[in-house]
Amino acid sequence: MGFLAPFMLVGLVAIGVPIAIHLIGRRRARIVPFAALDFLMATKRKTARRLQLRERLVLLVRALACLAVAIALAKPFTSCERKGPQVTRGPQAAVLVIDDSFAAGYLVDGKPWIKRASDEARRIVAQLGPEAEVAIVRASEGAEHPTELTRDHLRLRDQLLALEPSARPADTTRALTRAAQLLAASSHARKTVFLISLQAKSGLHPDEPPWGKDGPTFIALDLRPARMPNLAVTALKVDSDPNTGTRGVAFDAEVGNFSDEAKKVELSLTIADRVVARGELALAPHEKKTKRFLAALPAGARASDASVSLAGDGLPIDDRRYVRATLRDEVRVLLVDGDPRTVRHDDELFYVEAALRPGDREDSGTSVRSITAEELAGITKLRGLAPTIDLNDFDVVVLANVAALPAERVTALADWVRAGGGILVAPGDRVDPTAYDKTMLPLMPQSLRDPIDTTWGASPEDRDSRALHLVKWEADHPIFAPFSKDAPDLADAKFFKISLLGPTTATADRKVLARFTNGAAALVEASIGAGRTLLFTSTLDRDWNDLAIHRGFLPLIQQAVRHLARKHALGIESDHLVGGSVALPTGDLKKLEVRGPDGIGAVFEGDRLAGRSSVRFGKTDHPGIYRVIGTDQTGATHDREELAFAINVDPRGSDLTPVDATALPTSGTGSAVAPTDNTRRVELWHALAAALLLLLLAEAILVQR
Amino acid sequence: MKLDPIQLQRLGSLPIKARVIVEGALSGMHRASVHGSSVEFAEHKEYSQGDELRHVDWKAYAKLDRYYVKQFEQESQLTVYLVLDASASMKFAGGGLAKLEYAGLSLAAIAYLVTQQQDKVGLVACGDRAIETMVPPRARTNHLHDLLGVLDELMKKGGAGDESPAEALGRIAELSRRRRSLIVLASDLFDPDDATLRALATLRAQKHDVSVLHVLDPHERTFPYEGLTEFHALESGAKLLANPSAIRKDYLDRMNTFVAKCHGTLANAGVDYHEVLTDNPLEDTLLELLVSRARLQPGAARRTG
Repeated sequence: MGFLAPFMLVGLVAIGVPIAIHLIGRRRARIVPFAALDFLMATKRKTARRLQLRERLVLLVRALACLAVAIALAKPFTSCERKGPQVTRGPQAAVLVIDDSFAAGYLVDGKPWIKRASDEARRIVAQLGPEAEVAIVRASEGAEHPTELTRDHLRLRDQLLALEPSARPADTTRALTRAAQLLAASSHARKTVFLISLQAKSGLHPDEPPWGKDGPTFIALDLRPARMPNLAVTALKVDSDPNTGTRGVAFDAEVGNFSDEAKKVELSLTIADRVVARGELALAPHEKKTKRFLAALPAGARASDASVSLAGDGLPIDDRRYVRATLRDEVRVLLVDGDPRTVRHDDELFYVEAALRPGDREDSGTSVRSITAEELAGITKLRGLAPTIDLNDFDVVVLANVAALPAERVTALADWVRAGGGILVAPGDRVDPTAYDKTMLPLMPQSLRDPIDTTWGASPEDRDSRALHLVKWEADHPIFAPFSKDAPDLADAKFFKISLLGPTTATADRKVLARFTNGAAALVEASIGAGRTLLFTSTLDRDWNDLAIHRGFLPLIQQAVRHLARKHALGIESDHLVGGSVALPTGDLKKLEVRGPDGIGAVFEGDRLAGRSSVRFGKTDHPGIYRVIGTDQTGATHDREELAFAINVDPRGSDLTPVDATALPTSGTGSAVAPTDNTRRVELWHALAAALLLLLLAEAILVQR
Repeated sequence: MKLDPIQLQRLGSLPIKARVIVEGALSGMHRASVHGSSVEFAEHKEYSQGDELRHVDWKAYAKLDRYYVKQFEQESQLTVYLVLDASASMKFAGGGLAKLEYAGLSLAAIAYLVTQQQDKVGLVACGDRAIETMVPPRARTNHLHDLLGVLDELMKKGGAGDESPAEALGRIAELSRRRRSLIVLASDLFDPDDATLRALATLRAQKHDVSVLHVLDPHERTFPYEGLTEFHALESGAKLLANPSAIRKDYLDRMNTFVAKCHGTLANAGVDYHEVLTDNPLEDTLLELLVSRARLQPGAARRTG
């Protein structure tokens, strides 16, 4: 032990002060010979002993207080071996990369691991000293990063104290890259990156080094507990199950065992806040298995919140996975075949029928009736007889390569569309644009012009290269919701012949939803009264294109039909992850409000909603079920059950397998290395000051008694 | 008019003081209309079979034509032992007379009174080997002078030692085994092992009349001290530096308990107990003792003619 101000130890003589006061006090005391005290002390020595003890204690406390004052003023310190990372005090630049992914909520001794990380980070900030410029970079995917280093250590400490695990997986490599960028902008010679993370494999990408050779000094802190076994529900799919009845649904829950030992997992299925099924899974180390639950949705509900959870482990957030289970609304489609063939696959409707009723199963969600163009005459009165086809039995009519219809049928169809029906028109060789202009315009979003054949005159080997492709589709539109912006399932399809479009008709809200590579419109949508019309400018079979044999054809046709029928929700939920955005169809809503599981959400209205067929909601920060409340044009507000969606954590973050030390980044050479000093000075006067306060308190209590 | 104990102390020699106290007390007795003991007194009882014929009052028969028998009390002389606790604790004086002086004056007055009644009076003092004194009981006037002289000397010496009166009381029990005696103890009863209380109870059990003057100083009963004080014990030499206000309640509780215990133990044993404070007029103390004795044993001091 040493002293920073040893001359202050002269004050130790002050210890004599209370002793002198004690002795003087004794001398100044009045002396009274007292017989009864003698008796009292002889008979009841307890009081005397207590008084004597108290007197000595007071003297001792006062002497110690004087001692503490003198020693504290001399500022004692001691030295000890450094533990933990090499932290050197002084001017420097440092970035603390802290893992705040959901894995940081792993419970270690009953407390989230992130508290341990936060404590360690605060200790490092304190040791760096006030001259250090520091930044804190959170390592969760999509986290906001600071733009500069700061000397405001108080703010840093507050940030660290407020640190909570997010619901996102770790992206440590991106955070380290950002740390290197921040340090690169600093003029300090000494630059250090401290990594306080669980060092899970999933967040680090060894093939993407965060800095080059001249990067900063890198110190990775090993705060990981010895064992971090984790179990997680990594996927949950729901599908209708006709075998269980009309309300039957099947849940396929995938469970992962991210530990080195075999585990037996208890799973439970919850529908509408009630546990309806339980099951067990035996999992080998690092194994994933799927458990199927069959259940029925509650009576009267078209959709329900559901979740599968497993018995709690160290990381609760990934032990439950949510899903919205929705019963399919059957869409009734009338397919009008303009070019019927006896050879099945040559038929105009062969691919459309297959897409709408895959496997011809009852649970496909679509009922299809196919007729020829001539049979469509049944929608009108024929020679005074009642119509044989009631359009009101259908939600959607598809006119595939149908030659221009007589005016009375068009009128009947147009009336039906205006009342809320949906019609999809696709051209073909039997479509004559001139004839269409004469009668069909009430059903068309735009008039047709002559088709162009891009392969005309090309040799067979050049044919493919001259084909058109779909590009620039409205990714936010419900029809394209299942597709990403560059979905190869659509983009790879080749279009050899397409119909060009004429001048705009009088239809409202006309919108081109997709275009070809030459800029021509591929899919045009317009409103007619309360209904909708869609015009696809190529054929629905393989005559003009090969879209029908691409994987994108099925979802495109199904989505188009459902969009026309205004029945978007399908039984199969797409898996939305925390941090991702969700496209919500706006329909005719005046206001749309989204509420998350924590009650916080967003409101779309006014300019954010007007003229849009869908909006994107991106505040998906917590896993759970998000509700959508819509206000229609009449001002009525309804819970839009069919739009509610589930958000889940990214299963990548559940794998806590540690990364090899060799896969961690290495220190660069672009930083001056601090001199090695393995001892650390620990100042003791704070403790002495605290002891002094306690002594004064004790003295006050003793004197009062 | 009553004399303050301090004023009384200024009066000449001890015999004079004793006489003053007794006269003051006796004047009080008239007011109390209580007949004293040990004076010649008789009463008549109608004759019944078995009474001695020599005791028949023939003059009464002549007057009333009925037989009355003269009855007399015990005809022997009363022996009184005065026991003075002269231990060190008795020299405590809070502001007035020391307890020893007060006790000495009280016993002197009783000796004077007893001698006046032709009864025998003796003195036993205890406290220290140097002080231990035994004046055997005698009834002569010269004896009173000797006894008062010894008493005066003891008072002048002041208290010493820590011997309790228990041993002295035991010696009296030995001496007066065959004869009932009156034993008057003046002490503060500061006795760590209660031996004095037991000895008094033993004497009472042996049919002796026992009176106790429990002499305490007013300061011992009120503990009026203030400010930092170092108390020196008189017998043990122990010292205690204390703030009296901090220990007053505890002390007074213990003192009250002690007095209550003495009173309770002695009253249960049939001992005539009087707590007296040293600022109490001595003639009142004497009078209280006399009245109490007369009330407890109205015929105890009668003698046959």
